[in-house]
Amino acid sequence: MTSKSGIHEKNLEKIFYPDSVAIIGANKVRGTVPHDILDNILKADFNGIVFPVSPKEKFIAGIKAYKYVLDIEDPVDLAILVFPASVCHMALEQCGQKGIKSAIIISAGFKEVGGEGVERENQIKAIADKYGLSFIGPNCLGVINTDPQSRINASFARKMPEEGSIAFLSQSGALCTAVLDYAQAKHIGFSKFISFGNKADISEIDLLYYLKDDPKTKVILMYLEEVSNGNALMKAARDVIAGSGKPILILKSGRTSEGASAAASHTGSLAGSDEICAAAFRQAGIIRCSDIEEMFNIAIAFAYQPPPNTNNIAIITNAGGPGVLATDAAIHDGLKLATFADKTTAILKKNLPRTANINNPVDVIGDARADRYNIALSAAFDDPAVEAVFVILTPQSMTEIDLIAREVAKVSSHYDKPVYASFMGEADVQEGIEVLQRNKIPHYPLPEDMCKAVATVYKFHQEKHDAGDNIASFDDVRIDNARAILEHAAAQNEPFLTEDTALKVFAAYGLPVMESYLATNQEEAVQFAEKSSYPVVMKVMSQDIIHKYDLGGVALDLKSATEVEAAYNTMMNNIRTRQPDANIKGVLVRKMIPKGQEVILGVKRDPSFNSVLMFGLGGIFVEVFRDVSFRIAPVSEREACAMIDETKSSALLKGARGQAIRDIPAVVEAIQRLSQLACDCPQIKELDINPLIVLEEGRGCFVADAKIMINHTVKSS
Amino acid sequence: MDQKEVQERVIKVVAKVLKMDSTAIAPEANFIFDLGADSMQSLELVAGFEEEFGIEMDEDKALSVQTVADAVDFIKGYL
Repeated sequence: MTSKSGIHEKNLEKIFYPDSVAIIGANKVRGTVPHDILDNILKADFNGIVFPVSPKEKFIAGIKAYKYVLDIEDPVDLAILVFPASVCHMALEQCGQKGIKSAIIISAGFKEVGGEGVERENQIKAIADKYGLSFIGPNCLGVINTDPQSRINASFARKMPEEGSIAFLSQSGALCTAVLDYAQAKHIGFSKFISFGNKADISEIDLLYYLKDDPKTKVILMYLEEVSNGNALMKAARDVIAGSGKPILILKSGRTSEGASAAASHTGSLAGSDEICAAAFRQAGIIRCSDIEEMFNIAIAFAYQPPPNTNNIAIITNAGGPGVLATDAAIHDGLKLATFADKTTAILKKNLPRTANINNPVDVIGDARADRYNIALSAAFDDPAVEAVFVILTPQSMTEIDLIAREVAKVSSHYDKPVYASFMGEADVQEGIEVLQRNKIPHYPLPEDMCKAVATVYKFHQEKHDAGDNIASFDDVRIDNARAILEHAAAQNEPFLTEDTALKVFAAYGLPVMESYLATNQEEAVQFAEKSSYPVVMKVMSQDIIHKYDLGGVALDLKSATEVEAAYNTMMNNIRTRQPDANIKGVLVRKMIPKGQEVILGVKRDPSFNSVLMFGLGGIFVEVFRDVSFRIAPVSEREACAMIDETKSSALLKGARGQAIRDIPAVVEAIQRLSQLACDCPQIKELDINPLIVLEEGRGCFVADAKIMINHTVKSS
Repeated sequence: MDQKEVQERVIKVVAKVLKMDSTAIAPEANFIFDLGADSMQSLELVAGFEEEFGIEMDEDKALSVQTVADAVDFIKGYL
């Protein structure tokens, strides 16, 4: 949400449902944006008044044109600016003076071109703020509302889409026209169609909140090129999904690993922008799609049919091979083939040929006509164990493609259960596909795509979607202590905290650390080892040494004073030889943590999502196995558990192959405490706890090694 | 050439290119916003000024000039 969100909420209604529209910069030249927008509005049979505004035309398309918007005597709800970018500010200023509160700025030549364009964009934003005006764009295709109450095509797309229940938002205008063409061919309709361009004023966040309450929209699709405020997007998505139950499907481009390469920690190098984005979307309940086709495959399953209450499906096919393919795909995607009731198999046995398969998947045999599909469909729908019916067809010489499609539509209309179809092929099955599409039966060229789409719908409805408010806050944390340490390090320009100091930060947040001491000479090392009790660990502490293992700066499992003395001398010799200029702060001495399962916990800052948490299999091979999961902080207990469950190594914690079951609740708590630390202390740039050693059930876990990289440019709020 | 003469000749060119009555063209008029020049006419205006005054202007800078008064000042820099 932004400071203008309340204003946008009010003004957005008039963008989609204006009583009057001024097209500012309209002209008579066919094939130009200013002309075609006016033409589209007139052709779409807009339910309101249109005012062309043109500096030199008296009439356009038989409608009186005005030199300035201020010349229009009647009130204007919506202004559509199609002037060149260089004069948009003048037009918008007049809109403000006229009292217009809603605008769409189609014109390009703003932030996207850099330099002067950035200034122009700032200028129009300032004008909008001055007048409490909200605008979509600039640099966009426009907006379409198919609701008969408005029927406005305020875009320069080639066509007005059919009315439907899918809303589509896009940062790319050009993609919008491709999507409109794609959708028209498949008879997919839209409730709202919005190209939001540079999102200089109204953003995708504002539009999500608007669509949450839009009664015409059941499913929200979005194409995004950049996530400018990831946390706001996550909050909006959660609010929309929890508040309205509407699914949000996002196609996000820009799957690059930029930003990961320069990282100084394991977490930093593993948490690429795409992985973070994927984790954030999943956390917020957003369904991420990899391409347009997948997006619409899932969208029509949501939009056209009720969701299946269970994952028990029936498959009806006239082809054995595709039936098996569909079965494999269904099982792979988490669906189940329902076990038919005796009554169902009896009906099928009585009415289908002997060669037919009367169990699930039902094979009505290649020569099946519409009557056999009718019998199988009715029997499947009537079976209480069946929650959804998948119809597969391949075109044989006697296959009544068109009639079978009609039969699917007719029979399914008598039931509340969902039905989906895959008429395989292309040319011969086209007529049947058209029948299915016109009757809002989701159709998929391949059964595998059908299974994936339906499984996605099923999972979405099974998941618990909350507004993300169930975050535990530990009140035993000492926030001031942690911040003081971090701020001191930042003031001293230290790039990272040595482990002895990092452990103090963790201790302040209740993360499990063993008591440790910093010895500055051999005698102190022995003294602290005795205090800790053997066996002990010793590690060299220096701001100049980031990889202390590589330099021989770590000694493990020291069982006596003699071993401690020897290790101390060896360590000092190693450092003096391998990095003679290193300024040694001392040697950390602490009790050796018992053997356990090693995991890694980490934090990374992301420009879009801020605090990113990582969990995974720990140790030195973390980058090799990449068995890690991510979440955006803060995380709830449920999310912390899910982070662990998502990794393959969770099996090791749960006692795979006879190993001891580990203290998973202690790890869950550690993740939540780390989440709180990451949110409270922006001075942490990156952080690794590697390893966190997880002991057997009830014995806890302990930080065995840690690194905190400092961000010098931020202060606590 | 004085300011008045340059302005009269600029307005003459503008009226010819945009097919307008010269009396309807105010010095502060914006070529696009007030007079309705499109991108092609903006190029024609630059060519018209060059021909009228026998000068050769930097095209990018000339196209960024937005009003009659600014055009007068810009052209005077070449005279």
